[in-house]
Amino acid sequence: MALLELKNVNVRYIMKDKKVHACQHVSLEIEEQDSIGIVGESGSGKSTLASAVLRLLPQRITQVDGEILYNGKDLLKLTKDEMDALRWTDLSIVFQKSMSALSPVHKVGAQMEDVYRVHFPNAQKEEIKQRVYDLFKVVNLSDRVYELYPHELSGGMMQRVSIALSLLHNPRLLVLDEATTALDVVTQSQILREIMSLEQNLNVTRIMITHDVSVVASTCKKIAVMYAGRLMESGETKDVLVNPQHPYTQGLLKSFPSFKGAKNDLRGIPGSLPDLSQEIPGCVFAPRCPFATEKCRTVEPELKTVNGKGNWKVACHKVGGE
Amino acid sequence: MKKDNIFQAVMRVLKKNSQLRMGVILLIVLLCVALFAPIIAPCDPYKLYDALVAGPGTPGHILGTDGLGRDVLSEIIYGTRTSLMIGVVAASISGILGTCIGGIAGFFGGKIDRFISEFMNFFLMTPSFFLILIIVALFGSNIMYIMIVIGLTSWTGNARLMRAQAISLKERTFVKSAQAMGESRFSIMFRHIIPNGIFPIIAQTTMNVSSAILSEAGLSFLGLGDPNVVSWGQIIYHGKQYMPKGWWISTFAGVAVVFTVLTFFLIGDGLNRVLSPKMDANN
Amino acid sequence: MKRYIGKRALSGLLVVLLSVCFNFTLIRLAPGDPIRIMAGTDNPNEEMIEALQQKYGLDKSIPEQFVMFLGNVAKGDLGYSYISDESVIKLIGEKIGPTLALSLTAVLLSVTFGTLIGIYAARKNGSRFDRFVCSISYVFDATPGFWLGLMMILIFASSLKWFPTSGMVNLRANYKGFAYFADVCRHLVLPISTMVLTQTPYYFRIARSSVLQVMSEDFITTFKATGMKESRIFNKYVLRNAILPTVTVLGMSLAFLLSGSVLIETVFAWPGMGRLMFSSISKRDYPVLTGIYLVTSVVICIAMILVDILYGFIDPRIRYD
Repeated sequence: MALLELKNVNVRYIMKDKKVHACQHVSLEIEEQDSIGIVGESGSGKSTLASAVLRLLPQRITQVDGEILYNGKDLLKLTKDEMDALRWTDLSIVFQKSMSALSPVHKVGAQMEDVYRVHFPNAQKEEIKQRVYDLFKVVNLSDRVYELYPHELSGGMMQRVSIALSLLHNPRLLVLDEATTALDVVTQSQILREIMSLEQNLNVTRIMITHDVSVVASTCKKIAVMYAGRLMESGETKDVLVNPQHPYTQGLLKSFPSFKGAKNDLRGIPGSLPDLSQEIPGCVFAPRCPFATEKCRTVEPELKTVNGKGNWKVACHKVGGE
Repeated sequence: MKKDNIFQAVMRVLKKNSQLRMGVILLIVLLCVALFAPIIAPCDPYKLYDALVAGPGTPGHILGTDGLGRDVLSEIIYGTRTSLMIGVVAASISGILGTCIGGIAGFFGGKIDRFISEFMNFFLMTPSFFLILIIVALFGSNIMYIMIVIGLTSWTGNARLMRAQAISLKERTFVKSAQAMGESRFSIMFRHIIPNGIFPIIAQTTMNVSSAILSEAGLSFLGLGDPNVVSWGQIIYHGKQYMPKGWWISTFAGVAVVFTVLTFFLIGDGLNRVLSPKMDANN
Repeated sequence: MKRYIGKRALSGLLVVLLSVCFNFTLIRLAPGDPIRIMAGTDNPNEEMIEALQQKYGLDKSIPEQFVMFLGNVAKGDLGYSYISDESVIKLIGEKIGPTLALSLTAVLLSVTFGTLIGIYAARKNGSRFDRFVCSISYVFDATPGFWLGLMMILIFASSLKWFPTSGMVNLRANYKGFAYFADVCRHLVLPISTMVLTQTPYYFRIARSSVLQVMSEDFITTFKATGMKESRIFNKYVLRNAILPTVTVLGMSLAFLLSGSVLIETVFAWPGMGRLMFSSISKRDYPVLTGIYLVTSVVICIAMILVDILYGFIDPRIRYD
């Protein structure tokens, strides 16, 4: 059984005069010990999807339906208390803006202590401190950080603090929402290496949300490509990146320099994201797709298996058969 | 075509923002009253009628007369002109001063900035109503003085805003490129910094109209208003002597002040919400 | 820290000096001669005027007068009133008590009510309560305090006769001890209510908007994601962050407290600093006026330094270097 299974998840933002379909018909399976990268340009709904899984979207203005099965339990059907019990012990997250991820007027250590006590209310101060120091060691931070305020740390250090915080209760599923995007390349690769070595030791399943395909290529076993709230293609990283099937994936990969250093011409995809408050018949990518036919504009493509491989799926009429 | 678009854009903003809509409607009412005062007012506000301190509902005097026999309604209607003028002129003075001084401080930076900032701190630490009072009381209560003094003592808030705007704008690419192309510093300031950073000051200036009207009303209430014009504060001051028997004199003039100040508050707050959508999303 | 306070005190002293100098000059440049007001009659005797001018040093130039004034201040002497011939320090001392009783009470009540209602409204953001309190606060924000005071007198004193119309004590009754205190309290009700009604919206708006702002910060999402109870997030993290602007504004209000509320004190004939100031302006009582200005400026300056220091304790991002 998959650790996390999304079945036909839809997320809508309800505005005063319109509804925005931020995610539509997203189905995805994530196995235990997997690492999956969800990529897409900004506005593709990848962060929304992650927040939806963790039920962190503001309830008043969003509407989520479909099924989000974690260990067979539908997260969307849990009561608030049941969900709170899963938070951080099972599901945790690292946000992009780590500089503002903690309260500016409380010390880092005190806040981590507080989070620790959410699930172990009677924990002793010394015990927590030891745990935090251990985690600091893991992410390469000095113990001194415990007594500092967030503004006294650099961006990279705060990122490490966020990661240490997310690991506080040994979560089974860790979401990294653009967690390294804002960092410089050296710090980024250092942190990514730390995360990957952690994974092997701690038995975590990781979802990595990023717009940087190279990060996924070097750190994730699987990849899922999103566009305009829909899943375009998903599968093993080595399959999808080497031999992309969906025209959008192909376009996305062309807009990054080659990993092997060959000088291909860099190309963006002409056009821009469609207006998600409108109902779009057919494939969402059709207006920008160089291969689009009449069918693409009228019938929405279903996810299909590619080359008989069970976990490689593409939503495109042009792939397989036709 | 283009005009039409601007009009449509304004309508769209007004439709979304209820504060602004209310404020604009009230403002239109006020402007009409001020503009058509001679037509709307039933009597000459300066004429002394025989009925002294006649209550509201007296024939010919809907809101009654004051202690000298003037028609209260007409006084209030003409008072709209005074209040609007004082509010707008004083707020404009403080807006223009604040924009220029704050813009220079933020854009030029360095020693100029430090000097201006110290100067602003100095102003921040002076009790401004006290100062206004001293100046008006000692130098005479001419309406020109009153407007200028109110304007001169309230520019620091605008300057602070503009300074922050200028500091953030001068790092932006279009300003950098104008610099690189050799545009002079003053030209950059007036062509790029001020036009791009002025919006929060406009909202603030609308609020300042309110406080200027309140300041003038306060001065008049202390008997320091310009005796040659009708103003709401003076009506309240005059009516105070006939309290509690002649309650209507002060009461209705005060309602007019509340109404007007509320109008500008609503517009200013509405503008602020339009300018910072983040706050709007919270509401 | 010590160095910072020293620096601030020095620059504060400079500001006070400049401010008083400005005020001193301004007052003396103004048209209207206090001596002629003092001498009273329309056609006063020239010798008397000269004698008076000499007595008060008004025959000297303004810079000379200012230096004299500073010298006296250094000796702790703020001069004597032209009108009553009493020492300025004594005059001010008599009025500080009543002003504090009125304004300080009003500010403390306003900040308490305003902040509590603001926090509650922000928690119930968008609810009917929130919308209702917001509209009310708009109206009271737009209401001139002096007019509201008149209306209060009209309704609660003249018509209903619940409270006295004006003054601080019933002079005819000659109360002693507790009865005196109770009488002052009765006189305080209307002016304080007026001030609280017009000041509360200010604190309400600040508290409400800063709570809303903090609630939209990223770290709130972090804590929600950890499964922390919302009440704990609110009570520990939101409030602590949201209280900062209120502290700043409260500090400013306290700083300007001594200059009193001329308008409210006038409406209710309250014997405080505001009225002393206003009467000394109209009577051209220069020494009293300058004295009040000096005392107020010093108080403002000290209060602002104190607020800065306090702020350093509650906001770790502020550094003194």
